[in-house]
Parts: sequence; C-alpha cells; structure tokens
Amino acid sequence: MSAAPRQISLDEWDDRYRELHASGLVEPAYGGPLRRHFEEGHDLRLRTLRFDNSAASLRLWNLLLTEEDRLRECRRQGRKLVGTMKDLGTVPVMAYAFPNLTAFYPDGAWWIPCVMEFSDGLLRIADSLGIDDSFCPVRAMLGAFLTEAHFPRPDLLVCSVGATCDDFSCIAQRLNGLGFPILWWEIPHRRPAESGEADFLMPGGMTLPMAQVGLVKSELARIQSAMEELAGERLAETMLAAGIRRANRVRRCLEELRRRVFMADQSPLPALELLIAEMMAIHFCSDQEQAAQALEELLVQVRARVESGQGFGSSSAARIYWVNPVSDLRVMNLLEDCGARLCGTDNMFCHALDLIPENLPPLDALAGMALMDPMVGSAAERAGRICQEMQAWRCEGLVISRIPGASHCAWEGQIIADLVHDRLDLPVVELEVPPVADAFQSSLRSRLEALVETIISRRTL
Amino acid sequence: MITAGIDAGSRAIKAVLWESETGRLLATAIIDQGVAQAELARDIYQNLLQTAAVDPSRVARVVATGYGRNLVDFATTTITEITCHARGVRCLAPDVRTIIEIGGQDSKLIRLTASGAVRDFAMNDRCAAGTGRFLEVVANRLQIPLADLSALAEKSRKPAAISSMCVVFAETEIIGLLAGGTPPEDIVAGIHSAVATRVAAMAGRHVDSPIYFTGGVALIPRMASALSEILGQPIRTVERPCFTGALGAAVLAASQELVAQP
Repeated sequence: MSAAPRQISLDEWDDRYRELHASGLVEPAYGGPLRRHFEEGHDLRLRTLRFDNSAASLRLWNLLLTEEDRLRECRRQGRKLVGTMKDLGTVPVMAYAFPNLTAFYPDGAWWIPCVMEFSDGLLRIADSLGIDDSFCPVRAMLGAFLTEAHFPRPDLLVCSVGATCDDFSCIAQRLNGLGFPILWWEIPHRRPAESGEADFLMPGGMTLPMAQVGLVKSELARIQSAMEELAGERLAETMLAAGIRRANRVRRCLEELRRRVFMADQSPLPALELLIAEMMAIHFCSDQEQAAQALEELLVQVRARVESGQGFGSSSAARIYWVNPVSDLRVMNLLEDCGARLCGTDNMFCHALDLIPENLPPLDALAGMALMDPMVGSAAERAGRICQEMQAWRCEGLVISRIPGASHCAWEGQIIADLVHDRLDLPVVELEVPPVADAFQSSLRSRLEALVETIISRRTL
Repeated sequence: MITAGIDAGSRAIKAVLWESETGRLLATAIIDQGVAQAELARDIYQNLLQTAAVDPSRVARVVATGYGRNLVDFATTTITEITCHARGVRCLAPDVRTIIEIGGQDSKLIRLTASGAVRDFAMNDRCAAGTGRFLEVVANRLQIPLADLSALAEKSRKPAAISSMCVVFAETEIIGLLAGGTPPEDIVAGIHSAVATRVAAMAGRHVDSPIYFTGGVALIPRMASALSEILGQPIRTVERPCFTGALGAAVLAASQELVAQP
C-alpha cells in the first residue's frame, strides 16, 4: 500500500486510489476518491493542486472536505451545533467536553472562495451587505450563513471581541444584525503583570496578570452556562478536564508531526498537507475523534518516511519559516516548486498548538491558553516567538504571507521582518496572496525563487 | 567564453553578449516588450548575434531573467532578476552594498554582503507608485516627453507635496494642483520625491553605503538626487543601467558553465 512519496495531481489520484483499494485500503465512512469533491462538491481548486500520495493524506483531505456533510448529519441526528468564532482554539475544547455538542468554525468559510474558485458566490453576497474587499476574505462567512449551503444554522454562536481582529469584529457584527444572535465574549489585550501584581505562570514561562486570567475565566464561565443550557446538562469539572485531555491528544500529535516534518533531513510531508493538518488543532473538522485518528495515521506515515529516509524535494531545499496561512492553497505547492520546504509556521493560532496545562483547574487552564493567542498580544511578542522557532528549526529565510484586507496584517509584517533581520540576519519576503492568486503566480514565483537563490548563495559565506 | 543574458522585463527585453575572459560586452540590444514575448526574445537574441558577428554555437550558455524569463525557451536556465541585478551591478561596481533598481513597472531594493552575495531584498510589484510607470503617467498628463521630466524638475523652486499613495489618485491630485496654479516643474519635482519616498520605504532601517541606482528609471538624472535627498546618502548611478540585469545573467551564465565543465 505504501509507495515512494510523491506529489500527484487530482487525475493521478484516480489511479492511486484504485491501487490503494486493490491493496486493501480500509477507509472511514467519509472516505472515497478525492475526485468526488471536485465533481460533486465543485471544489474546483483541487484540479490545480498537487497532493501527497499517501493513504493518510487522502484521509486527511477527505475529513476536511466532508465537514459540510458531517455538520448536516449532526443536525439530522439532533446534535446541537455551536459556531465558535475568532478565538481559534479555545472554545471548541469546551464545546467538545459535552457529549451532545458539535463545534465548528464558521471562520473556516474563508477558504471556500479559493477551493470553489469563486463559483460559490459568497464574496458577492458579502459585497452586497457592504462588507467589500477592503475586509479580510473571512467575509465569505456572511454568505455561508445566509445561503446555508455550507453549514446549517448553528444553535449557538460564540465570538470573541476586544483584542481581536477589527475586520472580524465588523463582519461578526454585521452577521449579528442579520438575525444571527451572537454570544460575545471579551478578550483583553495581553500585557505583562505589573510590579506587585498577582501573576499566573503559563507553561513556557510566560506570566499573565492574574486579573486578566480572572476576566477571561469569567467570560468563559458565561459561555459554559450558555452551552450547559443548550446541552441540557451541567459541565462538571471532570468533563472539562477530560475534554482538555482529548484536545491535547490532537495537540501532542501535531507537536510531534511538526517537529518531525521541520527537522527531518528531507521533508516527509508537503507544505500543503502540513497546513491542513495544523488547521485541525483549531476546529477538529467537527469530529474530534476522527481528527485525532487522521492525524495519528498521518504521524505514523511521517515517522515511517523519516525512518526510511524518504521524503519530498531535495535535502538541500531552502528551509523556510512561513507566517500566516495563505488564502490560495496553491501557493503552498509553489513554495516547493521554487526549491524550498517548510521548516516552521506561525498561522496566528500557535496557542492552539501548545498543550493545555492538565495540572491546573480546567477553566483556569483554558483562560490562560486563550490569553496566549498571538493576536491578543503585541506583534513584537509574536515576532519574538517566531525568531525562537526559526532558530530552533534551523530556518534560513522567512516568508510573511499577507491576507488582503486583514487589518491584523497591516503593520505586523514589518515588525516581524525587522526583528528577524536584527536578531537572526536572515532574508525576509512579504507576499500578498488573494483567494485565487493565478494572476500573481509569476510575481509570487519571482519572490520565492529570489528568496531561495539568496538563501543558497548565503550558504557559501 | 561567450555567454548571453536575456532580461525579459515587463516593459522591455534587454540582451547582452559577454566575454568572460575580457569582461567585455560584445553587444547589447533592447526592444519593447509585447504580447509574443517568446518570439521577441528570439528576435533580439538573433540581432545580438548578428551585431557581434558571433555564431550561436560559440555561445556557451544563455541565462534568462526578468518576469518573462520562463518564456525564453532557448535559455539554458533561468535566474531571478534579484540575483542577476546583484551580480550585474557588482560586476560594474565591486564596492556596492545596496542596489536600488527602478524599472517600468516595479522596483527593488537589494542588500549585498561585503563579498557580494545577496543578503536580502525587497520588491514592489503591486503598486505603480514607486515605479517608472508613475513618471510616465505624469509625463502624459502634463504632455511633456518623458526624457524632459528631469530637466523640468531641476527648475522647481518649491516641489509640490504629492500625498496620494496610489498613482490613480495621484493623477487626480495633479489635476487639482494644475487647477490651483501650481507650476508643472513643481509638480514634476514633487512626483520625483513621491517615487523616491515610496522606494525608500522598502529600505526600512537597513541601508548600507555605497548605494547604486540601476534600472530604466536610473536614466532620469533627477531621480538619483531625489533618492539621495530622501535616504540622506549619496546615490551612484551605474553605467548603462538598463542592462545590469542582462549583464548579471550573462556573468552568472559563465559561472554556471565553469561549474558544469568537467
């Protein structure tokens, strides 16, 4: 069933799928050939992508691309749906602690215009609501709510505000005004504890002011009450603790997966599949158990490739750290086409990749993790973490991918670039990637190729 | 050894034939870019060979650079314009530490190490402000030949402040300035400063001297002084600035050929 690692097209996946089946591939209920998402789901972008040829990656893609079906099935079964917005990794942990709640991220609709190559019409709906392209592509979410073509109307909508993205707050406010009532919760801008102020030590050494942790904890308690009402049962501390352990199963798996991918001599997993895998940390694709299993299978595949010395590209590929997810998935393929590999990422949700402390009262632990969100701290703090990881993972260059219209991207790129220049003296390239970047391919390619050439020439210094 | 460099830029294709032993340019050619880019590149290469009376079999290697580099189907290999400009300018000015390249539709800032390797770079190819296109728009609007802009700007006594960050809005601003009686020379001088400011923004806090200026816009003398004023450092313009990308490509072609030889 195993084959040498190769990136293959959608067409090539047809043959590969038959080959896997002939050799006894057993798939979960959401399994099947990748092509059906293109033909039935109109996920047109798939025909332009190149995919990892492993059965584990097929499962990952199938899990991702069947989320809409899964949410509808949840609704049919009478499970309650919670739309969790903006916090990127905290509230779903609480939702999945209830046996009859399913959480999902409506924010994830930002990739629909890319995956469906604008055939979804979601951005046009957002335009018509006055949320035009001066806003982040996550505005596609508005169209998804109104059409219900991508997810059913949730039973509860939760969204963080305060020290969050301005764009997102505007979009969510518009949604609220359209008859989708939102339970807002406040997250403060993270600051260090002042002299004499009680503090709260997080794993990794960051200290948070106890007052901020207390505020977030009280906000999470409000969400907990709303979820208890929806679920029809009280969330015992033991249930939340078990929910945290389940989330940590996913996070532990991702921690090893990333370490192995970033540190291997030859990359054992393409950048595209790693990006999809990392996204599981925040939303579990609406099925926490299946997300954990799919990632564990992927980890087994990656371990096997590392142990057998197999991988993608050259072992001398330029080692790139990537900041911010791309609106157009095809750009992750382009990185490898240009002779580079992914050796580090910061996709604005690194707090969802860190283990949640299991030795603290569960709500305290969740509140602390919410405050670790890179977007609620300063850009300089985020830049500091990026520098540390770039050193640890022996990165040779940095790509900062800007999301058109996203307010949080306006200036932070320069702050991150300056710190990487000052501390590490490494080259940095900033890219702006729209949802379908075909017209910018040559420009994006030039920048990435120039970065790779620069890295290679610096090796001889 | 004779090598060729083809710089298929967004506005023009530039080509050079270079002899590595003497470091001499045997021929240069430039032609406006068009729709049939591959054909234009082939034509300019043929012209180059004819001008230098060099048989194609004597050309050891052809390296293509620029946005259209992948369309130059007879090239042995391709290299980005960042690396090529760096090598081309370094060939002409070995002490270079920073390169500012402003072309018709993009601009670049390249920082080099003391040994001439690219340390890092910044590019602007998403906004016409900060490129030669800005100057073209202004020349058209003021009905002045592009070549005369520099001389006109030198007459300015009070350069106009052009605050728009976008060429389209800047054009509107120019109409307003003209309507308000601002002399054309002050507008032109203001535009030079606006382009220079935009380019300087790419430099951030890291600009090492000496700084060399290249690209088609470097042919406009006033631009170098505008950049110098904004950056607070002297700016040196390289010889034949249109050809540094193609020259770098030819020099890199020779290096590649030496490595490839058994």
